[in-house]
Amino acid sequence: MTVAGQQGALEAQVAAALTRCAAGERAALRVIYDIEAARMAGVARRIVRRPELAEEAVHDTFVNVWQAARSFDPQRGAARSWLYAILRNRAISILRDEGRFSPDEDVAEIELDAASATARLPESSALRRCLEHLDGNKRAMVVLAYVHGLSHGELAGRLRLPLGTVKSWLRRSLASLRECMG
Amino acid sequence: MTPDRPDGLLAAEYVLGLLEGPALALVERRLRSDSGFAREVEAWRTRFSDFDHSAETHQVGENIWHRIEQALPTTSAVAAPLRSSWREWLWDSLPALRATAVGASLAVLLLAVALAATIRQAGRAPTMIAVLLDGDRPGAVVEVFADGRATLMPISNIPVPLGRALQVWTLPSKERGPVSVGLMPQAQTLPLTLSTVPQPQPDQLFEITLEPEGGSPTGRPTGPILFKGNTARRL
Repeated sequence: MTVAGQQGALEAQVAAALTRCAAGERAALRVIYDIEAARMAGVARRIVRRPELAEEAVHDTFVNVWQAARSFDPQRGAARSWLYAILRNRAISILRDEGRFSPDEDVAEIELDAASATARLPESSALRRCLEHLDGNKRAMVVLAYVHGLSHGELAGRLRLPLGTVKSWLRRSLASLRECMG
Repeated sequence: MTPDRPDGLLAAEYVLGLLEGPALALVERRLRSDSGFAREVEAWRTRFSDFDHSAETHQVGENIWHRIEQALPTTSAVAAPLRSSWREWLWDSLPALRATAVGASLAVLLLAVALAATIRQAGRAPTMIAVLLDGDRPGAVVEVFADGRATLMPISNIPVPLGRALQVWTLPSKERGPVSVGLMPQAQTLPLTLSTVPQPQPDQLFEITLEPEGGSPTGRPTGPILFKGNTARRL
């Protein structure tokens, strides 16, 4: 199966399971857990760094998903992007509220990860193709913000750029991504 | 709040997780009411989704699933679990209560009752309480005591951007306008300075605004109102 085909099949399974969650069927939540929990832990770990905090984010996400399943509207968006939005919000809250980053922690490792997260994107990904059109620092900003949950201030610190420059470059990068990806 | 920023980019910054504090609260509110903006957000989520779907997987311990199951309500989302302390139940239930149409006023009412009860137990009862809200989200409580003292207690996380501060205001009368009664660099329990205003009356407005560090330069609120509410006599 192609990457797009696999993603389509997963989306259909998760969307169906979410509908059953909304009807109060717990087994359907377990279906989503079996499909997504390990991937979610990976996404959360890139943001909160520590495995136990990543598991906490996954735990909180599933409790939220169960409680909010009825508010999921397939007309308005994909089921999996809804799930991952909840997860990323939760992980970023854990990161920001509890200040898990010490300023000097793992700088080199995180800079390296900006490249590795892009390298993990499928060859066929429009996101990958369009990110590759951006210069190094502009690409790194987008990746570090989305994948690692860095704030404007943290981006400025890590890339050693003034805050105003980070904000304006980031907006330009986003505008160019939107133009490239449609 | 930032009229120079087109909606598409605001949506992108929201999806990236770059908005904080009042900007984030504004966007989340707008997301519920503005379907065009919600579509922009969804489009950005879709654009970035390959990052999530291609992330490395990490096996999650089976104990996590057990904890999830234990945290699920037994019958429905608003079923009241059995707890030793109903105040603890109240705190835990606030999100669920808020999710219902009548939840907001109910949550505030229960909150006021719970606070009044707790404070009475402590032997020091306020004569009036104001629950300060952002829409339906309670952010802080102002208690006014018989001897004229008053305290503000934050009850939710209120992020403050660098170089800004939270300022507390009250409106003793329309003629006089808002008067500053407190300033804090971050959300904290704060004794309010009521010496320059008459003893607060029922239904008097209190609000928290976001101001420059050191307080509003004009002596009047200049920043966005984060939370507001009116005093009510103790229940």
